[in-house]
Amino acid sequence: MIRFDNVYKTYRTGTDALRGVSFHIDDGEFVFVIGKSGSGKSTIIKLMTREEKPTEGVVYIDHFPVSRMSRTLIPVLRRHIGMIYQDFRLIESKNVFENIAFAGEIVGMPRKELIQTVDIVMSVVGLRHKAAAMPLELSGGEQQRVAIARAMVNDPRLILADEPTGNLDPMTSESIMALLEEINRNGTTVVVCTHDSNLVDRMQKRVIEISEGQICRDCKAGGYSGETTDSCLPEVTV
Amino acid sequence: MSVRAFFNSLREGFTGILRHPIVTLASVTTILLMLLLMAGFVIFSADARHIMRAIGQEPPIEVYMRLSSTDVERQAVTDYLVSDTAHIRTYEMLSPEQNYNDFRKNLGGSSSILDDFDYNQYLPYTFRIQLTDPTYSGDVSMKLQAFPGVSKVMLEQQVMVFLTSATKWVNIATGAAFLVLFLIALFIISNMVRISVYSRAAEINIMKYVGATNTYIRLPFIVEGAVVGLFSAICAWGIAYFVYDRIYSAAMAKIEPGSLYSLLPMSGLSKIVLLVCAFSGILIGAFGSGVAVRKYIRV
Repeated sequence: MIRFDNVYKTYRTGTDALRGVSFHIDDGEFVFVIGKSGSGKSTIIKLMTREEKPTEGVVYIDHFPVSRMSRTLIPVLRRHIGMIYQDFRLIESKNVFENIAFAGEIVGMPRKELIQTVDIVMSVVGLRHKAAAMPLELSGGEQQRVAIARAMVNDPRLILADEPTGNLDPMTSESIMALLEEINRNGTTVVVCTHDSNLVDRMQKRVIEISEGQICRDCKAGGYSGETTDSCLPEVTV
Repeated sequence: MSVRAFFNSLREGFTGILRHPIVTLASVTTILLMLLLMAGFVIFSADARHIMRAIGQEPPIEVYMRLSSTDVERQAVTDYLVSDTAHIRTYEMLSPEQNYNDFRKNLGGSSSILDDFDYNQYLPYTFRIQLTDPTYSGDVSMKLQAFPGVSKVMLEQQVMVFLTSATKWVNIATGAAFLVLFLIALFIISNMVRISVYSRAAEINIMKYVGATNTYIRLPFIVEGAVVGLFSAICAWGIAYFVYDRIYSAAMAKIEPGSLYSLLPMSGLSKIVLLVCAFSGILIGAFGSGVAVRKYIRV
């Protein structure tokens, strides 16, 4: 599904965000990307959505080198990725239904099909009764659910979540992660960048830890902090 | 972009007009003022060209036939004048007798000195020609000179040169004024729309992340700009119509409609002013918006 081949990223400011990162994520995996602030987690997400291009190396999604794709294809790529952010990124002038439907409108989904799909995803995230509410009338958890519903509308095979629980209380965070786990159970690959050690420890999913732009740990089922054992070694590119 | 996405985008454009009423009002006012100036120039140049054309037609080209010219030669000239409707507005053939009578009339009280004048021996047939446009005088003169039996073609050369050059300069000035006003309006509108775009930068960002194409993001702004431009154009046309109609009534109170210095009535100018305003308004609004949003949509 996702492959990073010896990826380097140096920003114009001279900051080395990634230094030779290589890893592979299979279809249907649930992966946590963890690390301190500034370690390079968000850069990994940005490279997958082609918000940034690697300075060196190649990023593949579905065997397609997205780091080399033309600009005109970037919207097509993003339609196949569901994005979830810490700050929810909802359009304040649109209600819940419109915010979710918006992702389907962009791809030109027929109206009838769109209404049905939005109805289904609103039910999945438990917000069917709030369809007419405006984003600012919702709690943080509800807003994040709207964002998840929006990410699901186009039935993506990959969901990228950048600190999805960063602005939420522990209980709400649990429910959001449960929702992402449920989506993953249905076959969608989920990649979550997070600081939330409790969630990572409790869920025991694959963990890729980044430190100073390099992978220092890649555990198939690990916690937030742990020893680098033989089963937790980063992938080495020759 | 699919048809459905296209229509969504158009709908968003119309919604956007009401979303930021202050910015919309400011944009309408700016485009309106520019279009009013443009309408003024269009009317002024149309009037200037109309007056110059009228004056240009007035000093006729005089063709003097040889005293020995035959009926066939005069008929050849007449045939040409009848056929060349693109250049010739009117013509009149004067016989030696008519020329003699004119001459006498010009002498007034002293006309008796011509009593014994044998006009058939000394006065030729002449043609008095009015052109559709003074710029054709050179061409027409050359053609006439080539006819057998033509002795000389008299042009009011200096007047023609002046009129030709004046017409050219009015056209250039109109074109230049149009271009300058267009660019100024474009610059102002582009900055005005940038405020609107800036206030929606977060929304545009979200659109990009969910996979909207540049065209999908840009189209609502272009539609919004075009509608604002069209609305401004209609307002500018209405104001120009009202004001010019008053000016026309006041100016023409003491001038006959057929006079050389008569202005064109607004009913005759109305369509062209509306067309110029609508075309410029839509172009300024749409292009200005498209340019303003460009910076924010780079994926």
